[in-house]
Amino acid sequence: MSGPAQTSTKPAVMAPRSASRLAAPTRGQRLRYRMKVALREPTTTIGILAAALFAYLIVVPIISMLSDAMRVQFGDERRIKQDVGELTWYYLDRVFLSRISHDLFWEPLVNTLSVAAGAIVLSMLVGGTLAWLLSRTDMFGRRWFATALIVPYMLPAWTFALAWTTLFKNRTVGGQPGWLESLGFSPPDWLSYGQLPVTIILALHYSPFVILLFGNALRRFDSQLEDSARILGAGRLTVASKIIMPLMRPSLMSAMVLIFAKCLGEFGVPYVLGLPVNFDVLATSLYQNISSRQVGVGAVLAGAIMLIGIITITIDARLMREARRFVTIGSKGSMNRLSPLGILRMPATGFAALMFVLSVGLPIGTLFLSTIMRVPGQFNLDNFTLDYWIGTNLNTVALQTGILLSPDLWNAAWNSLRIVGVASITSGILGLLVGYVVARTPVRPLGTFLRQVTFLPYLVPGIAFAAAYLSLFAVPRGPIPALYGTTLILMLALIADQMPYASRAGIAAMTQLGKDPEEAAQIAGAGWFRRMTSIVIPIQKGSLTTGILLPFISGIKGLSLFVVLAVPSTDVLTTYSLRLVDYHYTQAANAVVLIIAGLAYFGALLGQKLTKTNLAQGLGN
Amino acid sequence: MPKINLSGVEKNYGGNSANAVADLDLEIGDGEFMCLLGPSGCGKTTTLRMIAGLEHLTAGEIRVGPKVVDSVVEGVFVPPERREMGLVFQSYALWPHLTIERNTDFGLRLRKMPKAEREARVDQVMKTLGIEKYRDRYPSQLSGGQQQRVALARMLAVNPEVLLLDEPLSNLDAALRLEMRAELKRLHAEFKTTIVFVTHDQWEAMTLATTIAVMSEGQLQQVGTPNDIYDRPANRFVAQFVGNPPINIVELDDGNSEVSRRVNAYLGTRFAELRDAGSIGIRPEAIRLADAERGVAEGALSGKAEVTGILPTGGSWIIELTAAGEKLFLTTHQSPEVEVGEAVTWWVKPKALHVFDKAGQRVEAADRATRPAKLH
Repeated sequence: MSGPAQTSTKPAVMAPRSASRLAAPTRGQRLRYRMKVALREPTTTIGILAAALFAYLIVVPIISMLSDAMRVQFGDERRIKQDVGELTWYYLDRVFLSRISHDLFWEPLVNTLSVAAGAIVLSMLVGGTLAWLLSRTDMFGRRWFATALIVPYMLPAWTFALAWTTLFKNRTVGGQPGWLESLGFSPPDWLSYGQLPVTIILALHYSPFVILLFGNALRRFDSQLEDSARILGAGRLTVASKIIMPLMRPSLMSAMVLIFAKCLGEFGVPYVLGLPVNFDVLATSLYQNISSRQVGVGAVLAGAIMLIGIITITIDARLMREARRFVTIGSKGSMNRLSPLGILRMPATGFAALMFVLSVGLPIGTLFLSTIMRVPGQFNLDNFTLDYWIGTNLNTVALQTGILLSPDLWNAAWNSLRIVGVASITSGILGLLVGYVVARTPVRPLGTFLRQVTFLPYLVPGIAFAAAYLSLFAVPRGPIPALYGTTLILMLALIADQMPYASRAGIAAMTQLGKDPEEAAQIAGAGWFRRMTSIVIPIQKGSLTTGILLPFISGIKGLSLFVVLAVPSTDVLTTYSLRLVDYHYTQAANAVVLIIAGLAYFGALLGQKLTKTNLAQGLGN
Repeated sequence: MPKINLSGVEKNYGGNSANAVADLDLEIGDGEFMCLLGPSGCGKTTTLRMIAGLEHLTAGEIRVGPKVVDSVVEGVFVPPERREMGLVFQSYALWPHLTIERNTDFGLRLRKMPKAEREARVDQVMKTLGIEKYRDRYPSQLSGGQQQRVALARMLAVNPEVLLLDEPLSNLDAALRLEMRAELKRLHAEFKTTIVFVTHDQWEAMTLATTIAVMSEGQLQQVGTPNDIYDRPANRFVAQFVGNPPINIVELDDGNSEVSRRVNAYLGTRFAELRDAGSIGIRPEAIRLADAERGVAEGALSGKAEVTGILPTGGSWIIELTAAGEKLFLTTHQSPEVEVGEAVTWWVKPKALHVFDKAGQRVEAADRATRPAKLH
């Protein structure tokens, strides 16, 4: 080993400047060097391509839709007395100020807000109580309930709506009567349709949100904070009101905001239960305008929904920031200390069981029974039949076989799997790529743009997003033919709609992984492609699986995107069952919904098994 | 010939941030064990990553041997995978999805080494580091020390000419750290690799390095052998950063300080040319206490003080002296014969005084004046 002789003979002072100083690089040289570094690897190139793709799939449709709101649409030129494509205030005026604005916008807005408010209050009461019982008390069967009470969120919301109609449908609408009706009671309209059932169903469907978010916060709550207050002499009530509640507030608020955002875009439930009594919310009003080709008005409504969504999410972001100010990450003090319920232990367990029965057992049971009964509500043995599942030569206008023998079902199922499958796999992979680029690119604005653009669809309720797609792709534009009626438009819309979750998962996974493992491979001599195939993707296998499975589950049970973009030939399971509802094939519709619920539920279970994680939490997305 | 040569290297992370590394000139000789030493945030890891090619430069040039691997002016950038270096990360960065064996032979597979040769090489490296019995395990099944060895083995397998180590021992417990230090020194002797080692631990730097480069706030402070760094610190920062307990610093312009007045008077009478100095530093072990048999040595700086604390550290003691409110620390390996509260006389030989000018730089003239007898 040659000793460092030169350094020890040197005087021990600042390292002397080498005689030939390098000239400072010029601006041009710096730029050339940085370009060289940036473009050396495909990361930046991929990032630029992805940015272009998302600009086209996400930004352009939204802009196109918003501009529809300000331009004269085809067919309206006579009424507006302007040429097609000219700027106009007509649609804005019509939606917000005209005489029909009340029916178009204001009443649906009030309905939306009051349904959302009701659902929030109800789910807070129910979900909050359950969350507390599950995480802080010695109620019986807490583990089992912790999973069971999340199940309602895994089922499509309008499963409940169909179950409700099965039970409470009255003579206001034709077709088969509800069970109560056929038992001789005639339920009033306010119980059968409209605001009350919609509110109750949304509350049941979204209370898992509260259980998850509030329950998590309660579990993480550091008991030492509580103990300190007690030691200083605070009573139980004071502790609850001065210590626990203020610290829980952000998580409660956040659950509220999320439920609101979900209610805003909720289409299926108000469609099934609101239509008979003309109870419109914004989503159904938008749907009706789109299906009657009122493109301009639809665009304004979609824009309004989007705006409300954006405001809501902004508030949520604020709240989350506030929440982070006092995170109480559990130390050892957060040991799950349980309050003994004493004499209330049995009643509390009964309450949880009741909620499970109401939100899972009853709807699923009702739907299932309805599919094997000829006449609703008659529990004679000869009234039961499997005809609606596997019968042949049935005496009906259409659908003369049981649903399982109908080619339409299999066609719709195949479409569902194909469309949702392709979209989920694509968005999962794109999400990981986005995560990779965001975590790695030296061009920082590119990472920021990708992060923000992929988040954008989150602000836009599905039905408004579908309207945007319709606006952009209904007619041929440049080299792109009209895509309306194709499966491609459904896939594209679904991919874009799923990107917020996919890219968030990808970014989180890549950030958590950190640069080190990849840099180690780089040092070992591995080029970009090699690093991706033998280091990055294998390590991220698990999160990629989750990133594909989660959107798949929510896509299978999703309705609002499809209902606008699907046509009979591209029916998926959800739109197919909705069509059956419209034609009053109640049993068949319920059977299809049960199939969807089964797919979603067992998909979630499978995912849980595969990734060994609790997917219920991820489903909160 | 130097193996690695950094000239005018600058790194700025953009925005209005200060330079992470500023105008760095550094030569790392062939076969050298170079420690980059400094507090956290001083730019040492950034420097290491620039050598590896994992960070690009804002200005300057890096050469490895005769070859320019990185130059802003010339627009040259050789990517890390083609620099043929090894880097052991602070986090080890083992690939969690590969077994220990596959972790170790990753680089060899990339280089398409024939199977037999590859296996022999992997066996040899694993044996050297004592990890051969874990070959089929996954990283998560190993302890920190074992993971650390795998991280080393992975890099040594490809026999890099330069091995970069980024605080590789900081996650180990004390006993293991000692063991791995010895191991690194042995490996350095055995593989004759040029090693660049980043650490904030002066002890580690002292025991391992053939050369130490001390950095602070992106600036190189001093390059030298461990003894140079300790015995002839180039400035006050180096003097204060290296040494534990830290060096005693006496400001010379502090008229209120008893010690300061003593030192000024002492310098004034014996070394008139040092009157303009800014401060002096005295290592704790250079301070002695006068006792009945041996008084103050001839020509030494001395003063009176009270013993205000005695801290045993196991085998040695730190004694805290207070002179008119000012504290001096001294260390001794003999059981102290004084007690807290006792008045004592302390003294220091002139050659143990480190004299710094008002800007904090070492005054070379002082060395010549105070150490006339010692030849370099």
